Amino acid sequence: MSVTLETLSKSKPQSIASQLFSLKLAKAIGFALLKIVAFGLGVAIVWEVIYLLMVEVFHVWIAALFPAPVDVIISLIDHATDGTLLRATSASLFRLFIGFGLSLPLGVFSGLGLARSRWFKRVVGPIVLGFQALPSVCWLPLSILWFGLNERAIIFVVVMGSVFSITIATYDSTKLIPPLLLRAASNMGVRGWALFWRVVLPASLPAILSGARQGWSFAWRSLLGGELLTAGVGLGNLLNQGRDLTDMSLVMAIMLVIIVLGLAFDQLVLTRLEHAVQRSYGLSRS
Amino acid sequence: MTSVDVNNRVKEKTLSTVSRLSLQQVSKGFKSGNTNLTALENINLEVKPGEFVCLVGPSGCGKSTILNLVSGLEHADSGKVLVNGQAVVAPGPDRLFLFQEPALFPWLNVISNIEFGLKSIGVPKSERRERAMKYLTMVHLQKFADFRVHQLSGGMRQRVAIARALAIDPEVLLMDEPFTALDAQTRDILHQELQQLWAATGKTIIFVTHNVREAVTLGDRVIIFTYRPGRIKREFSTTHLSRPRHIEDQAALSLVREITAELRSEVQLAVAAEYGEAYEDEQIAV
Ligand SMILES: Nc1ncnc2c1ncn2[C@@H]1O[C@H](COP(=O)(O)OP(=O)(O)OP(=O)(O)O)[C@@H](O)[C@H]1O
Ligand SMILES: [Mg+2]
Repeated sequence: MSVTLETLSKSKPQSIASQLFSLKLAKAIGFALLKIVAFGLGVAIVWEVIYLLMVEVFHVWIAALFPAPVDVIISLIDHATDGTLLRATSASLFRLFIGFGLSLPLGVFSGLGLARSRWFKRVVGPIVLGFQALPSVCWLPLSILWFGLNERAIIFVVVMGSVFSITIATYDSTKLIPPLLLRAASNMGVRGWALFWRVVLPASLPAILSGARQGWSFAWRSLLGGELLTAGVGLGNLLNQGRDLTDMSLVMAIMLVIIVLGLAFDQLVLTRLEHAVQRSYGLSRS
Repeated sequence: MTSVDVNNRVKEKTLSTVSRLSLQQVSKGFKSGNTNLTALENINLEVKPGEFVCLVGPSGCGKSTILNLVSGLEHADSGKVLVNGQAVVAPGPDRLFLFQEPALFPWLNVISNIEFGLKSIGVPKSERRERAMKYLTMVHLQKFADFRVHQLSGGMRQRVAIARALAIDPEVLLMDEPFTALDAQTRDILHQELQQLWAATGKTIIFVTHNVREAVTLGDRVIIFTYRPGRIKREFSTTHLSRPRHIEDQAALSLVREITAELRSEVQLAVAAEYGEAYEDEQIAV
């Protein structure tokens, strides 16, 4: 053949797993951290300038409502060293991962169900669309009445906040499968659930992963919405505490933590997974 | 397949009285909006086991429709479609399609694509790898077993698709312009490989092409269709030409000329009809 082994072996096939857990990951984390630090430094400098002008020079704002970046960092370190930040973060992430961990498979399977069964689509389709239009915090009163003021109430809100977007993304992704692949599979005698497991699901995987990223950001928002409106250990609770004590440094420190955590999981796990899958499917240049 | 199988098939080819494929008085129309379009009219076609039949005709004359009828993806309005004397009811892996695009699964590597077909027909796991490797070797791609589909050239992909189809060991291969998307050199190589594979496996092949030279190179018979409604216009035998054949063979030239001349009037009809429709569309659009 005109294509020789030499030219092709440059791009040796790699499994998704090996792409994810290789040295490249360490490099990527380092690079991402560098980006975050650089970005953070930029923000801090602009912030400091505004602070100096508005608070120190012109006295337009007061320091209690517009803290200097240093105050925020000190507050961050304070709460990190006395353990409150760790406790709040782990409590929030626990709810988040349970909620997201439930809504991901739920969303994927109901999305596939919508694609698979006309009956299911007729009954569940409008419900999904309707609930997707409902902001997730609106589930909170119902959730509290059902579950009481506890973990489960907030987890329920997280699930409700993210499951429908994953459902819709999954359903949409099944529509984008090249018909030729389905034809080839059915020609080989693959039908019914086997067609779903062996063709529809893997063919939809790249789009499902984009849906999962969107679902993640919805889950994160729902979680904080829920936590802000209820008591109990968590990042939302720390925000409320900052408000109650007029501790703006704490408020801003927690906001920073929320941004960094959300971004980190999205960039370091979900986006990487998405890109690894895209590469292995030949959907993007590596 | 063992060599005993090959011998049996060769015997079958010469002794059998039952046609592998039989289309009797077949007609097929399509409804598009209010207009009824007769795609195929009164087709009679007998194909012996192990025969290589090429279908040639202007675009839109119903060649792909014939393959769809044989595969069971479409059903005739009237007449009979028989495989081994049995009416075709549904698609099955005994009649495998090869499309213009290879239709390989991008989430599987080369060898797993071939194993996919074997799993579909219930070959036990322990036997799949060896059998897949055997057919991959038949198309000279054994070194690429672990490659992803997107790391192969178009010609290599089409050879993997051929290996996948042959591994399933169908009785009939339905090839719908399988080499059209390839460059001339690759097509040359595949013509040689296909003739070898056909000689070795004794498959019955229906091969659709627009290329008269290709049809004469590959087929035992070349069947010419009229433009809409698609009818068999004339049939040419090529058995006086020795095999293996090459697309540049001088001996084939007079037959190629004769068939091309026969085809020209039909192609002109097709072009005129399509130009006419485009012209009318323009009038409406203005
Ligand atoms: N599913 C369908 N619905 C409506 N019309 C169809 C359908 N399939 C085919 N046709 C029509 O039937 C006719 C024959 O189609 P077919 O695809 O068999 O042609 P063909 O000979 O394979 O053409 P080409 O060489 O361009 O591939 C065409 O006019 C086409 O428009
Ligand atoms: Mg066609």
